Order: sequence, then structure tokens, then C-alpha cells
Amino acid sequence: MKSPLKSILLRHETVLLLILTAEWWFFSAAGRNFGTLDNTFDIIRHSVEIGLLALAMTAVVLTGGIDLSVGSLLGLCAVLLGMFWRDAHLTMRVAAVLTLLAGALAGGFNAALITWLRLPPLIVTLGTFSLFRGLAEALTHGVDTFTGFPEAFLFLGQERWLGLPAQLPIFLLFAAGIWLLIHRTTFGRSFRALGFSAEGARYAGIPVERRLAMVYVLAGLTAALAAIVYTARLGQAKADAGTGYELLAITAVVLGGTSIFGGSGSVAGTLLGVAAIAVLNNGLVHTRQPREVAGMLTGLLLLAALSGSVLLKRLATVRQRWQSPPEATERTSS
Amino acid sequence: MTRYFRETSVALALAALLLVLAGFAPSFYQAQPLLSLAAREAPALVVTCGMALVLICRQIDVSLGSQLSVCSVAAGLLASLHWPLGLILPGSILLGAAFGALNGALVAGLGLPSIVVTLATMVTWREGLRWLRQGVWVELPEGAQWFGLSQTAGQWTLIGVALTLLALLALAMKHLAAGRFVYAVGSDAEAARLAGIGPQRVTFAVFVLAGALTGLAALMNVAQSPQVDPNSGTGLELKTIAAAVVGGVAISGGRGNLWGALAGLVLLACVGPALTHLRVEAYWEKATHGAVILLAVVADGWRGRRLKVS
Repeated sequence: MKSPLKSILLRHETVLLLILTAEWWFFSAAGRNFGTLDNTFDIIRHSVEIGLLALAMTAVVLTGGIDLSVGSLLGLCAVLLGMFWRDAHLTMRVAAVLTLLAGALAGGFNAALITWLRLPPLIVTLGTFSLFRGLAEALTHGVDTFTGFPEAFLFLGQERWLGLPAQLPIFLLFAAGIWLLIHRTTFGRSFRALGFSAEGARYAGIPVERRLAMVYVLAGLTAALAAIVYTARLGQAKADAGTGYELLAITAVVLGGTSIFGGSGSVAGTLLGVAAIAVLNNGLVHTRQPREVAGMLTGLLLLAALSGSVLLKRLATVRQRWQSPPEATERTSS
Repeated sequence: MTRYFRETSVALALAALLLVLAGFAPSFYQAQPLLSLAAREAPALVVTCGMALVLICRQIDVSLGSQLSVCSVAAGLLASLHWPLGLILPGSILLGAAFGALNGALVAGLGLPSIVVTLATMVTWREGLRWLRQGVWVELPEGAQWFGLSQTAGQWTLIGVALTLLALLALAMKHLAAGRFVYAVGSDAEAARLAGIGPQRVTFAVFVLAGALTGLAALMNVAQSPQVDPNSGTGLELKTIAAAVVGGVAISGGRGNLWGALAGLVLLACVGPALTHLRVEAYWEKATHGAVILLAVVADGWRGRRLKVS
């Protein structure tokens, strides 16, 4: 019987926390200007958008699916935000609400194809990955950039509120909401059931198609919210916004211990995963490493995280075989 | 429903597109530009064959584009060092096969999902290449372009190689036991295992083959211009997946053939120039690709639903 302390220590999240601490120490020593408050706020600012996407992606991956289109949708929503504000002359508030609506609709498009036509999420979101980015490029003719947003809007992305980065309260509220949804409501707890066994969930009375649809709509909505924060932070909206963000979101989710096959995972793990990636990226910049190294390390980190969890599971199986008596039930191929 | 309904419908869609072009944009039909288009798409055809095999095996490989870029730069560098073609060719193929082996080892050996593994390797190779080369193009020596042949001869050579390879692979998929194994593993890996086919070996082999084909395609790509663009593989994986899926290869594995993938690739390759000749802005190309993928997949899903309900 494992002691409670050992259970806590061996949890995936604890390991991640240790890695995060190690990263922090390393970069504080090796880099200049790393541990300062200004820089920490910078890290937070950069990681809010990815964090939002990663949180929504956690819900999607928990159901056993994947959404490759969130990065492209961020770009499309950023462009739409710019168009609503500059070309349709709407106020920033109305433009933002319409953008959120557009994101939800786009997510709904994914959801319709996945739940109604029973198409694999992989190919649907691969198609919309291309479609959304293509629409963003076509709408801006490839070159248009939206700038000159009002001061009050840019405050959201660039200034401080009560001493902290202004987008942080939004993120924290969203994270708290997602945590509540996934871990405490019956609605959200069904996501894990869906990922573990959709048919089993159906027999348990869970409306499978409706829940799946909600997850993808949520992902679309979140991409739109991330687009708003992104535009506020950069002060401009372009068609290439959010390029590569889907990979970072997936990496954060997998790093955080959520199983890519669905059925198990946690919001806390994802948040730690986002933090680990953000600190890594920022730290590499401060130790004068080129941007490409950060990209390579992210890819390698994802592979390591995936391989690590599979290898550990196999190790556990081997240990179990060693420890249990010979007449214990033979495990089928894992 | 005939057995090849899907592939026939793609061929019909292609014919329809060609007819529309003949009617509204006859300037599309000129010998030299069409030949150049075909030669430009020949490497993509070779990669599409590899991608189709991976998809039939119920996997996916989004790193083929980055692999093409790396192999192209490597082949270009070897050429600029005046290595003979007889060494560069196997070198490029082996390098591609090595990348494929890495993907295959992680997917088949550790059982990791291929989408995530190949996403990670795609980013790693792409960023690694950018880091090493900083986006610098590779200058090829004199006489390296078109393998030293004239442009037309070189173009026909590339097209011929691609089509021959396609025909050979299609025959192999149909008549060789190894080819049928791919279909078996893609349909139901557990049933294949019980039937004595090792799914892990087949999956590994398919990734290696896709990588090797990409290495060959990289060389075909390099031969077409006096310099090597390090970004030549960008977006290739999406294009080849689209071509395969449009051509009837099921993303859920076990279904589809290479001839359909050929029809799909030709259809997609015509979209770009068609847009130009129909005077639509080039920026709609990516959106059109995405729309075509979705239309093809939706059509499949719709048919599946109707068949199930009826």
C-alpha cells in the first residue's frame, strides 16, 4: 500500500512542478534579466493565449479527439476582429462579441462534421486548419494588417491592472471556469467518460453527440477569446496570427499528463505544462539562444513527454509481472 | 455502387473542372506551361504515394514536408560538393528512410499516436533546418539542373519516373502480399495480428517507405532549378493528404488506392492555375484546398450515413 506522501510525489504534476522549478533556477543563473518581475510579467503575457488554447484543448483531448484548427481559427478571428472594427465601424465591444460568436460558429462547424457526420476529428480539423487560415489570408489579400486599435482595448494586452498584467484576470477566470467544468460538474466529468469509451458513455445515458459538439464549440469560442487577447497584446491583427499555436497547445496538454488517447487528464497539469513551455521559450531568449532552438526543443519535449509516459507504463507492467505470483492473470498486449 | 465509385467520382470531378477551364479559360491549355506544371507536381506525386500508403495503414505523417526540405538541402549540398548523382540518389533516399524509421519506431514501437509524433518531428526538422541554414538557398553547380539534360527532356524524365513509380506501387499494393498486409493492418490491426501479420512491422515499414519516397522526391525537386529553396516542402503534407483523401483513401485506414490519389493530386494541382486563369486571387488557394478536403470527407461521411440508415 503506497503511503500518501509517495502518491503525491509520484504524480505527474509533481514531476512537472519539479521540472518547472529546475528550469527557473537554470535560467535565472544562466540568463540575464530573467528572474525580474518585468520579465515574469512578460512570460505571463505571452502565455495567456497559449494557455487559453491549451485549456480548451484539454477538454477536447479528454474526449479522445483533437482540434488542429485552433491556431488557424485564432488567426481568422483576429482578422475578423480587425474587419469588424475598422471596416464595419463597430465599437470595440460589439466587434469583440461578434468575434466570439464567429469563433463559436466555427467551432460549431467542426462539431457538426464530427458529431453529425461521424467524421474523424483529425481529418475534419486538418481540413478546417487549412480552410480557416486560407480564409484569413484571402480576407486580408495576404498583406493587410489591422492596426490603430483604441487605447482602452490595447490596455487589455499591454498594461497592468492592480499591478498585474491586465489579461491575467481573464485567464485566471477562464482557467477556474474550465477547472470547475471539467473536474466538478457532471457535464465536464462526462468528457473523460467519452474519451475512455464512447459506447460505454452512451449506455450510461450520456448524450454523446451533444457533449462532443459542446467541446468543439468551446474550443472555437476559446480561440476567438485568445485572438482578442493576442490582438490587444500585439496591437495589430494579421492573417498569420497564431501560426503553430495548436502544436504548443497540444504539447502543453500532453506535458501536463493528459492522455492523448483520452479518458484521463487534469487542468492543473495543463497549466503547469503551459508554464513549463513559456518559461523554456523565454529562458532560451534570455540565454541568447536563437528562436529555432526553442522550436526544436518544443518538438523534442513533446516526443520526450509522450515516450516517457508510455515507457513508464511499460516499466510498471514489467515490475508488476516481477512482483506478482506466477498464477496471476496474464495481461494481454497493452 | 461499383467498387471504384469513389475514384470514378473524383475522375468525373476532374473532367468537369477541365471542361470548365476549356470553356472559360482556354489559355490554361498550353503545352509548355502544362508540362512545367506536371514536372513541378511530379515530386508531390511521389510523396503522395508514400502518404497514401501511410493513410491506408491507418496512420498519418505530417512531417513529410519538412523531410522533403531537409533532404532537398542535403542533396543540394552534396551536389555542390560535386558528388556524383549515383551517390546523391541513394544518399537522399537513405536520409528520408532514416527520418521515416524514426517516426516508425516511435509509432510502431512505442504505440504513440502518429499525428502527435509526426507533428513533433515536423517542427523539429523544420526548425533544425532553419537553425543550421538560416534560410540560405543552396547554389547548385553547372549542369546539375535537370540532371544535365535539356529542360524538356528533364521534365519528361521526372514525370515518367513519378508515373512509373506510381504504377509499380499500385501493382504491388494489389498483388504483393506485403501490399495486402498494409490494407489488413489499416482495416483492423488486431485481426491482422491474429492472422499472423505483424502490425508493428508493417507500420514501421510503411513509415520507412514514405520517408524513402520523400527522399527521392527531394532529389526530383532539387533537379528542377539552379538553387535549392529550403522552404520547398512547406505545406506539402497538407497537399498530399488532401490529394489522397480526395482520391478516396480513407483517413480511418484500410481503403483507397494510388490511382485515386493520382486523380486527387491532379485535381488539386489544377486548382491553383485554374484560379489564376479564372482571375481569382491566388490567396484563395489555401482556403480552396481546405474546402476540397472537407467536401471530399463530408461526401464520404454523407454516403456512409445514407448507407447505414437505409
